Amino acid sequence: MKNGLTLFVGVFAVIGLSTVGVLLSAHNQFGALTQYKDPIEETLHPAPLRGTADRGRMVYQDLGCVSCHTQQVRREGFGGDITRLWGVRQSVARDYIREKTVFLGHSRIGPDLRNAAARPYADAEFFYKLLYAPASVAPGTNMPSYAFLFEVRPIRPGQPSPHALQLSGKYAAPAGHEVVPTPRAVALVAYLRSLNDTYEYPEAAPYVPVVKQGGGH
Amino acid sequence: MNSPDNNARVEQQEIDASAKWPVLVFFSQALAWLVIGGALQLIASIQLHTPDFLANCEWFTYGRVTAAAQNVLVYGWGFNAGLGVALWLMARLSAATLRHGGWLIVACKAWNIAVGLGMLAILLGGTTSYELLEMPRWVTFMLLGAYALMGVWAITTFSVRNTENVFVSQWYVFGAIFWFPWLYAVAQTMLFSAPTHGVVQAIVNVWYVSGVYGLWFVPLALAAIYYFLPKITGKPLHDYYLSKLAFWWLVLATAFAGGSRLIGGPVPSWVATLGTVANFMLVVAIIIILKSFLGTLRGNTGALKHSMTLKFIFVSIIGFALASVLNFVLSVRGFAMTTQFTLIPELRDWVILYACFSTAMFGAVYFVVPRLLGVAWQSNGLIKAHYYAAATGILVVVVALGYGGWQQGHMLNATTASFGEINTALKPWLMFRSVGLMILLTGHLAFVINCLWTLFVALTETGAPAVFRNPPAIAGAAVEGSHS
Repeated sequence: MKNGLTLFVGVFAVIGLSTVGVLLSAHNQFGALTQYKDPIEETLHPAPLRGTADRGRMVYQDLGCVSCHTQQVRREGFGGDITRLWGVRQSVARDYIREKTVFLGHSRIGPDLRNAAARPYADAEFFYKLLYAPASVAPGTNMPSYAFLFEVRPIRPGQPSPHALQLSGKYAAPAGHEVVPTPRAVALVAYLRSLNDTYEYPEAAPYVPVVKQGGGH
Repeated sequence: MNSPDNNARVEQQEIDASAKWPVLVFFSQALAWLVIGGALQLIASIQLHTPDFLANCEWFTYGRVTAAAQNVLVYGWGFNAGLGVALWLMARLSAATLRHGGWLIVACKAWNIAVGLGMLAILLGGTTSYELLEMPRWVTFMLLGAYALMGVWAITTFSVRNTENVFVSQWYVFGAIFWFPWLYAVAQTMLFSAPTHGVVQAIVNVWYVSGVYGLWFVPLALAAIYYFLPKITGKPLHDYYLSKLAFWWLVLATAFAGGSRLIGGPVPSWVATLGTVANFMLVVAIIIILKSFLGTLRGNTGALKHSMTLKFIFVSIIGFALASVLNFVLSVRGFAMTTQFTLIPELRDWVILYACFSTAMFGAVYFVVPRLLGVAWQSNGLIKAHYYAAATGILVVVVALGYGGWQQGHMLNATTASFGEINTALKPWLMFRSVGLMILLTGHLAFVINCLWTLFVALTETGAPAVFRNPPAIAGAAVEGSHS
């Protein structure tokens, strides 16, 4: 290869083809997916993230939660996602159009969070405790504590905070003190409690092959 | 007395003199980041088995520190070392001096200030959460600007070459230098400037990540291997006539291979399938390349005993083979079902960055620095310590993440195992990984001490001038597959 021009054109073609073939064709195919309108109820799905939950999305991003948690449920029969009750159906592209930044994730050091709000035990108190002292609700976990999202403060005489965590044993606050979530913790928990893809889009239904009855053609 | 050999010598010394300061500045920055990144990586690794470690410090929460470590190792160590070696290789192989060294140093400094700011921004919570693109947007503009000033000189050096033939290393360097800014600019545009919608973002992200590993780190490692194998063994490359085919085959398939990282994900299945097909195609190119390397080494294993550079290059070849195997199996659906989201994909990326790329760079630094400084390495013991630390550390990390990840995958898919149980099973392997990273860090410290010591001796001119063994003459003057 003595000709520098050939090299240049080839190198350019490789990356150009890949950009067009992978990125632009994907963008062209489903980059403009819109909300799905339920034909009967006339509601739009997925509903956009709003208010506190949307602020919580930024806390999720800033703390790098995506390093250990995926947000994608694989189809039934491909891995243990459905049997682990991480979702009732596989995730589809339309689920993500409400998100400004998609947190698909690539590692499951911790469980998938795509439908974190659907866990039967997942009330706000559970998430607060999980963030403040993970081992108090998830024994044996290696999730780090996010105690810096909470304020440990003396209880004001006669007016304990209604939001204080109900902790016991070695996780309890020192005597006369209470653990209160900061606005960031409130936002993060609101975000986690918004994660629930339940709507059955037509494209999310598993493919069921049509079995022909009888032999008549 | 003006033999052609002597002329070549003088010419090489002129080239080395022109490259001296820019390349040394690149290497020194790279070394600093290697140690900082290694320390951050070790902190993150320890946190996975001892979650209380630094947990109260928001800056060092796992999600931030692991992203910061990866960015420092890729953009701090990887790019500085890669560019230093690439510029030197390009000048040597083009028989042209490296011009505008002053600009290169300025650009290199700007790049490193940007990497430092990016690291701080991630630790302070400014991450974008896209893998390898975590640095905030204002940093990326600085990076791209500085890169333009650095990359352009490699291309310029190539375009003013004084040689008849273009050697295979030059194709790889030329390609890598050109592909990175394209990958980076397109990913930035599609994620931030004109953000795409929904999971297209994830496709852009895996395309970029796979591009950085496959079209920047792997080509630069291969360029170094292709250069040093014939240089040190004194034999022309085995099957050189196939290397052109292998080059185009490898890079074209790699450019399409990223989608396999999304197997089973919420994207149209053609994205993952295209990636799988590309990864299957890659096998042929990889076999050609490995056969060429091993064929050149066969019958020359004696050279391995004498040259530390060649030892590192040999580890790099093994790293390349291992990365290729991991990449292949991870793109097979049935296998990905178990290994996806475990420690094994992380292992694949680490093997490319460390076992394949970094070891090739270590080998290159051990060859280049004495020639730039005119002083031999001050301690052979430290070089050996570095080599054995690297080899042992790689083995430990590969076993820890490989076996641990395999077990993790099976437990994740078995619904009966709770996360507490998975963590208990993983803990010894995660600790084992921390041990491996500690061994690697020790090796890097030996490397840094040796570099500083040698630099000190060169600057104070107290050492005896280095005497280089004549590279063994290559049979037949202008054999294809060799270079001067």
